[in-house]
Amino acid sequence: MSRADNKPKLIAFLETIRRPDVTLESIGEHDDLVDSGLLDSLALLEIITFLETEFSMDFSDTGIDSDQLSTIANILDLIEPRRT
Amino acid sequence: MLLDAHVGTLSEALSGRRWDPGEIAEQVVRRSTCYHRAGVRSRDRVFICFGNNLEFFADLLAIWHLGACAVPIDTRLTPFEIETLARAATPRLALYLDTIDAALSASLATLGVDIIDSREADKGAWPTNAPPNAQALDQHAVILFTSGSTGNPKGVVQTHRSMRARWMSLRQNLGVDAFRRTLCLLPTHFSHGLVSNSLYPWLSGKDLVVAPAGSIDVAMRLGELLDEHAITCMSSVPPIWRIALKASRPPAARTLQRAFCASAPLSAHLWKQIQEWAGTRNVFNVYGITEAGSWVAGTSMNDFEPEDGLIGVPWGSLIKVMKEGTTEQSPESGEACRNGELGFVWVNTPALMQGYFDRDDLTREVVRDGWFTTGDIGVIDHRGWLYLRGRVREQINRGGTKIYPADLESVAERFAGVRDVCCFAVEDRLYGQAVGLAVVLAEPWNENLRGLHAAMKERLAVFQMPARWYVLDAIPRTTRGKVNRATIAAMCAERQPVDIGAQASRTE
Repeated sequence: MSRADNKPKLIAFLETIRRPDVTLESIGEHDDLVDSGLLDSLALLEIITFLETEFSMDFSDTGIDSDQLSTIANILDLIEPRRT
Repeated sequence: MLLDAHVGTLSEALSGRRWDPGEIAEQVVRRSTCYHRAGVRSRDRVFICFGNNLEFFADLLAIWHLGACAVPIDTRLTPFEIETLARAATPRLALYLDTIDAALSASLATLGVDIIDSREADKGAWPTNAPPNAQALDQHAVILFTSGSTGNPKGVVQTHRSMRARWMSLRQNLGVDAFRRTLCLLPTHFSHGLVSNSLYPWLSGKDLVVAPAGSIDVAMRLGELLDEHAITCMSSVPPIWRIALKASRPPAARTLQRAFCASAPLSAHLWKQIQEWAGTRNVFNVYGITEAGSWVAGTSMNDFEPEDGLIGVPWGSLIKVMKEGTTEQSPESGEACRNGELGFVWVNTPALMQGYFDRDDLTREVVRDGWFTTGDIGVIDHRGWLYLRGRVREQINRGGTKIYPADLESVAERFAGVRDVCCFAVEDRLYGQAVGLAVVLAEPWNENLRGLHAAMKERLAVFQMPARWYVLDAIPRTTRGKVNRATIAAMCAERQPVDIGAQASRTE
């Protein structure tokens, strides 16, 4: 799956967990999801569960840094690591 | 020794800042001198508008040294809420760190409250005329506001005597050895974080490591922090544990000897997961009650398996389950439930609060003959183990933070476009419970709803804001005007909540 395929999936998921008073349209791909008010900080837990179930990712041994989940762009990077 | 407050080392988990007992003693002398010069005297009250750092604990001891009472303030509160608390508690002084909201500063000044930056309090030459220790056991030590930040504040008053009674009972039931290096990642403005997690070990001479309250970053790095600071003991609430289990690697150094969980229901499933992650079976569920001086019971039994609702045995408290839950009848003459029979949980403890600050009326509603009616429904089994099964009081437990519907309703009712309003608990995947709001609007509702949302956002801390909004034609009430929140919640559960985000964005 490419980044272009993953983004709509991620956006659709974020729509289900966003705060009731902030819309996804109001934030950009590089905006902080928590600082912008879109998500409650604990919603990062929901994103981890989403990544585990949708993309078979597992962080139980290594842990994960909150920065990796801070923006839409960072989450997409996590799903599909950039090749340099 | 506990009663002489021989403190341990204080350090900050993230910044690495550290004060040893000698430095802490110096800080207390400097700070108490500074606050004494500012006019603080015995029986005054001092707001501490920050927490979870070295300055908080040094200021707490400095305030106590002067015989004054500390009022730790939830840093998430809005200026409107802090001003409301200040009108009720009439502090002599408010301590803050670095910056304070300009409007709040002005309103505190109007109320005659002096303001001091805590970081400036330890500056200058060594004081030659430090004030003497003016502490006494029956003075107010802390006031912990549990509700009413929007109108009628309810502050739990603990004296030095009641707090020391709690610590003595914890020492008897839990010892202090396992608390050798204790981590506090809970807010220091509420009793679980302050009284039990922090002050009990620290004032017993054990080392305390403090982290930012409720920080997701801390939860996601928990295993690493436990190893880095060789933590032997910690406490937390279920949502923080859930984050740690998902996002943090487990601790590898195996220093953790004991972990506690309190303030919200702990499922057996999560409990077992914590045991596995932490590498110890010594994960205790705890029954914490601010009015009863924090931890009153827990699973300190030798042999137990995690079970839903299991609380365990009393710690320095008498606990009984009665057929009545109100103070109209004394629990001493009322009918007690048999083992295994569900009823109302009452607690009798020397750590009981002196009362709600300046609210004897509210105190009488919950205290009778030294017994506190907890508002919880529970059962005691044949072994004497307590289980909690529900709650009768109207409160919303958002991951350990208690929110009172009346606080939110009092803000909503001030908005002219609101005819009626009701707040209630809704299920929430993250926090267990969140706030639902049902409102009846006077006029075309889009405008009114946007206005109401904006008004509430200005006055309420983010954590208190409703997560789901419903617009109703009417809110059913009894002839006496009472509302059944469970009924309203059930009505709303069958409807789609209003997309308040879309409504709000139309104003921008």
